[in-house]
Amino acid sequence: MIDAMQNVFWILIFPGFVFTLAVGLLASWLVRKVSALVQYRVGPPVYQPVADVMKLMGKEILIPQEAHRSIFVMAPLAGLSGVLLLSAVLWLATARIDYVGDIIVAAYLMIFPSLALILGSSASGSPHAAVGAGREMKLVLSYELPLVLAILVVIIKTAGLTEPGEQLSLAAISQHTPVLSVSGALAFLVALLCVQAKLGFVPFDIAESETELASGVLIEYSGALLGVWKLMQAMMLVALPLFLVIVFLGGIGLSGLSILWGIGKFVLILVLVILIKNTNPRVRIDQAMRFFWVYCGTVMVVAVVLASLGNVYNISWL
Amino acid sequence: MNNGSTINHQSSIVNRLRLWSLKKSIWVFHVNTGACNNCDIEIVNLLTPKFDVERFGIKLVGSPRHADALLVTGGGTRQAAIRLREVYRQTAKPCVVFCMGACACGMGIFEKGYHMAGPIDSIIREVDPHAIIAYVPGCPPKPQAMIMGVVKVLAALEPKESYATERVGQAVVAGAG
Amino acid sequence: MQPSEWDKQLSPVRDRLAGIECTRENRVFLPCEAEHVCEICRFLFEELRWRFVISTGIDAEDCFEVLHHFADDASGAIITVKAFIRDRQAPQIDSITPLIPAAEWIEREMHDLLGIRFRNHPNLQRLILADDWPEGVYPLRKEVQT
Repeated sequence: MIDAMQNVFWILIFPGFVFTLAVGLLASWLVRKVSALVQYRVGPPVYQPVADVMKLMGKEILIPQEAHRSIFVMAPLAGLSGVLLLSAVLWLATARIDYVGDIIVAAYLMIFPSLALILGSSASGSPHAAVGAGREMKLVLSYELPLVLAILVVIIKTAGLTEPGEQLSLAAISQHTPVLSVSGALAFLVALLCVQAKLGFVPFDIAESETELASGVLIEYSGALLGVWKLMQAMMLVALPLFLVIVFLGGIGLSGLSILWGIGKFVLILVLVILIKNTNPRVRIDQAMRFFWVYCGTVMVVAVVLASLGNVYNISWL
Repeated sequence: MNNGSTINHQSSIVNRLRLWSLKKSIWVFHVNTGACNNCDIEIVNLLTPKFDVERFGIKLVGSPRHADALLVTGGGTRQAAIRLREVYRQTAKPCVVFCMGACACGMGIFEKGYHMAGPIDSIIREVDPHAIIAYVPGCPPKPQAMIMGVVKVLAALEPKESYATERVGQAVVAGAG
Repeated sequence: MQPSEWDKQLSPVRDRLAGIECTRENRVFLPCEAEHVCEICRFLFEELRWRFVISTGIDAEDCFEVLHHFADDASGAIITVKAFIRDRQAPQIDSITPLIPAAEWIEREMHDLLGIRFRNHPNLQRLILADDWPEGVYPLRKEVQT
């Protein structure tokens, strides 16, 4: 009984839904504030994302006549639940509660928000949303391969370092820092760009490009449903950098100074994402596809080869 | 359904939070119903980092469904009047319509033109007689004037209670607002 | 350029023109009747290789005028072919769009606002008036009050 209550507390409050949401809203404020400072202006106050979401919850929901009602309404909720599950898996891994294959579960759950975006925009009944959905589909096809290869590099490197009998899970991976090797560094860079695309930030915010597609995928959403999409995007800002920290940078420790060090790593990735966002223009979808498949794919294949070589010949810095 | 004044002024925590969040986060959508582009340039100027309206929570959105405020420029031409009514109906309520510039406020120098259907407020009121409409005159209005218009609208969204002159049992002097 | 030089350059079509008026230096008007406008514009566009700029439609009290403006970029002159349409009830003129495709939209606009029908125009539809504007009401005619 106490156990169940504690589990519910962990999943819903800390570090589950409410905590991730709060950190996510804070992170999205950080994105806007740092972008403002980079552009030599004052940014929004710290409660701005909270005000945005509250305002959206209070507005009316308009459903277009040609939209597919049930999918239109369920898609944002599905996306939100996907991110919630993803963050639950990652927090469990941070707490060293792991199971075999949780890295596959995490990689699978990361596709969920993009899938929900595609479903929701296809159900919108609007040509803008349809074009946005097509672009999002192409984008997902582009960056999934380099991302999986990057995770593969980390698995190869960690497999050589774990004790026999220790299961290869996120918690085990987070004991090591693969980024301090050549293949790991390459994999980290590519994974960072894939995360940039997954978060929907410039230069890869092709699906929700405001100026081109009149908000693309989310054009027909309003009110509370749009608020749920914004919540999902805020929680992704926590889950995806956390994934990068766990897989590449050695995770968030559990005691004392290592907690601060872990938070520092998380903030570092967030700042990298923000700086890339502020210094680049948006690319076209065909440029994005070529970038991920040709350049990142080639780099990743090289990294996999290097990692395997390092594994076979016991060279740890490869 | 199409009631611009769906701001519920009954005092309750939910309504107070709704009003607070609406005032702190106004997302604008720009509609040009046939302007000469001067007002449009000034609106774009307003959204540049120099005036930094993001610190007030104002953000430019790409879809009227996301918007809380419609920045309408241009006199209402016949061609655009139909479209403007559609855009207003697609804007999620509660919303505010800003008539930017002399042409939007009252057709300006195009008053006798054969192609005009009327000033913006008459077009909007055909759809929603209770729409909240703000007027920012000027040709074109300066960005500072537009910010002033937004501030005045935010003050006017307050419930009438804050202008109350009498409560039960005590007489209260009207607040300046 | 002197009027005599214009005379020499335009000699092949001189008989179609009602005169050559040089109002200012580098500003020339070539008045003519409506039926000759196509030949004159063909000569200016293809033989002399002048650039078509824009057209203008005017409701003069007793006739309609269609002006086609050409530019001679070598000398910087603007030359205007001024065609008079004498029939006020059913004004018609040959379209120069088959010759100069760029004239398509401006002739549609003149048709919309003044009611001048352009023969041989590939696409004489409504261009700038509103969709619900009544047919047959041409706003820029002098008799239409607004």
